[in-house]
Amino acid sequence: MTRTQRTESAGPGGPKGTGASRLTGLVTPLVSVAIGVAYLLAGWAGGDLVFGLFGLALMTGLAVVLLLIRRRSETVKGLLDRRDERINTIDLRATAFAGVTVIVAVIIAFVVEIATGGDGSQYAWLGAVGGVAYIGALIVLRIRG
Amino acid sequence: MRNDVREMRAAQDLSQAALAAAMGVSRQTINSIETGRYLPSLPLAMALARYFETSVEEMFHDQDAAH
Repeated sequence: MTRTQRTESAGPGGPKGTGASRLTGLVTPLVSVAIGVAYLLAGWAGGDLVFGLFGLALMTGLAVVLLLIRRRSETVKGLLDRRDERINTIDLRATAFAGVTVIVAVIIAFVVEIATGGDGSQYAWLGAVGGVAYIGALIVLRIRG
Repeated sequence: MRNDVREMRAAQDLSQAALAAAMGVSRQTINSIETGRYLPSLPLAMALARYFETSVEEMFHDQDAAH
């Protein structure tokens, strides 16, 4: 097999720059803009349009920054197009770390709330969502193998 | 786990970026594999071996197996 032929062959990540990978690379920026629109609608519904406009501008700005940075950063590009297995692994570990951090913060806040005479319900349901999501994910992932 | 990716790549006068493009991963990932900081998945290890027309066992060396 010649060098040219081999260079054209792709590894498990598939060929670079396919239409599918370009579309995948737009998911995070589009979700960012969608969250901004949700902020706008929430601000408008709650009578705080300034908050809504600020939230939309912030999240749209984040989407633009991500799209601009991905041309210079392999890490950002990998996080957006999801094709690099090492970046995906790093993303999974970082997500797990962030999740554990949030759960620990919720538990601490719940305990402090109870200790100061509150009912802690606002933290209890957050903790419950985290616990149910974890158990649900365990079951699904276990079944899928 | 030691590997011969860097040697095999250098023998073919191939850049990390070119190998990364062929494998569909980032140049950082190829560098991390070569320096032993990242152990590739089985599909990527097999793709690398296939690219260099060798086997996974020839390319990746289990240090424990040597003893």
